[in-house]
Amino acid sequence: MSDEKSDMPCDRYRDALDARLDGVLLPDEARDVDQHLATCASCAREYAMLSETQRLVSENLMRYAAPDVLKARIRGALSETVERTDSARTPRRAPVRRVPAWWRQLAAGIAIAAASSTLTYSALGTRAGSPSATDELLASHVRSLMPGHLTDVVSTNQHNVKPWFNGRVDMSPSVPGLDSAGFPLVGGRTDYVRGRAVPVVVYARRQHMINVYAWPEAGSASTPRSSTRNGYHFVTWRGDGVEYWAVSDLNTKELDEFVASFRTK
Amino acid sequence: MTQGDVERFERVVLPYLDDAYTLARYLLRDEHDAQDVVQEASLRAFRYFDGYSGGDAKAWLLAIVRNCSLTWRHRHRADAHTVSFIDGVDSPADDGNEADTAAIESSERARVQRAIDALPAEFREVIVLREVQELSYKEISDVAGVPIGTVMSRLARARRRLAVLLGVDAQEAS
Repeated sequence: MSDEKSDMPCDRYRDALDARLDGVLLPDEARDVDQHLATCASCAREYAMLSETQRLVSENLMRYAAPDVLKARIRGALSETVERTDSARTPRRAPVRRVPAWWRQLAAGIAIAAASSTLTYSALGTRAGSPSATDELLASHVRSLMPGHLTDVVSTNQHNVKPWFNGRVDMSPSVPGLDSAGFPLVGGRTDYVRGRAVPVVVYARRQHMINVYAWPEAGSASTPRSSTRNGYHFVTWRGDGVEYWAVSDLNTKELDEFVASFRTK
Repeated sequence: MTQGDVERFERVVLPYLDDAYTLARYLLRDEHDAQDVVQEASLRAFRYFDGYSGGDAKAWLLAIVRNCSLTWRHRHRADAHTVSFIDGVDSPADDGNEADTAAIESSERARVQRAIDALPAEFREVIVLREVQELSYKEISDVAGVPIGTVMSRLARARRRLAVLLGVDAQEAS
């Protein structure tokens, strides 16, 4: 056995160096290679070179994290697939049945919100006799989460989103870039609340969407006020003649953090 | 496909989204292309989810990402059909993302990144699957759709080429 080994050309071992490096040799094969490396300077140099290369590569190669926006896009697309498949299988069902179960639950949530709104009416300074801003925004927010309703313009670039609103709404909303704060921009859309078309700018944190509504409102600037309805959190503030509302299912701590970043940009 | 399928898919497959995105970043060398391909691959994986037998979900997803990346390259490169995959001269990564630039500012990291980017796609693929994803030869063979012997020879050639690109001197290293 050992006599045989000394006759082996280095080529045989060269082919085994990578396998040795990757730890995929059987113990006796590995011992065999190691014994050769101890006696052959040329193969030992090559092995050192390979292992140094492997060290450099494995220590320096970047492992990327999938962006939150991508995760949100995939989840959105998955739910659309389900919806389409459901409708393909049951083409004659009434439209409402095509909506997947969890959207139906959300819809039920809106109904509950509407029913209970009379009880919580005074929560945020509403105008008597008309639905409160929170009611309208809750409905708009939940509707926006349904497939295909979140954004009219999809862009992670604030310089694409802001000009998109020109000519669509009668004001130019703030679209700060908040990537560095961990709130990537998803896009924008227009929506109809408080009796007017308003710009909505959409941000994300993990799979949570944050809708930021804005409309002109006379009155002095005010600091953020928070409220909660049906598990959704609302933060509103006023500045520069504009009233802002941020709506999300994100926890209140992170939503406050978001609002603070938004206001300082 | 039902809501239950979505939930099972999210539980079994989506935990490997970072790995999928990392592979796509290296294969396509562009973050926006990588996002589009991972989205496409995820939806494709979801459509094939019935046929997924419950094996290694990571390798299964990466195989789909790899195939979608190749299709993407062919579809989006006018010269793709005139340049063979293995000998293709790839332009250096040109995504000017400032965050990335800052992240790889350390010279060694930048050097390694450039060396990886300079590898032919088939070599880059096995290096990323082995050194970043830490897959076994068998798993790499499944993902790349080539025999284990081919995986081993590509890996060996890729490492030797990297050693040259990185200027790892045999004397110095020993």
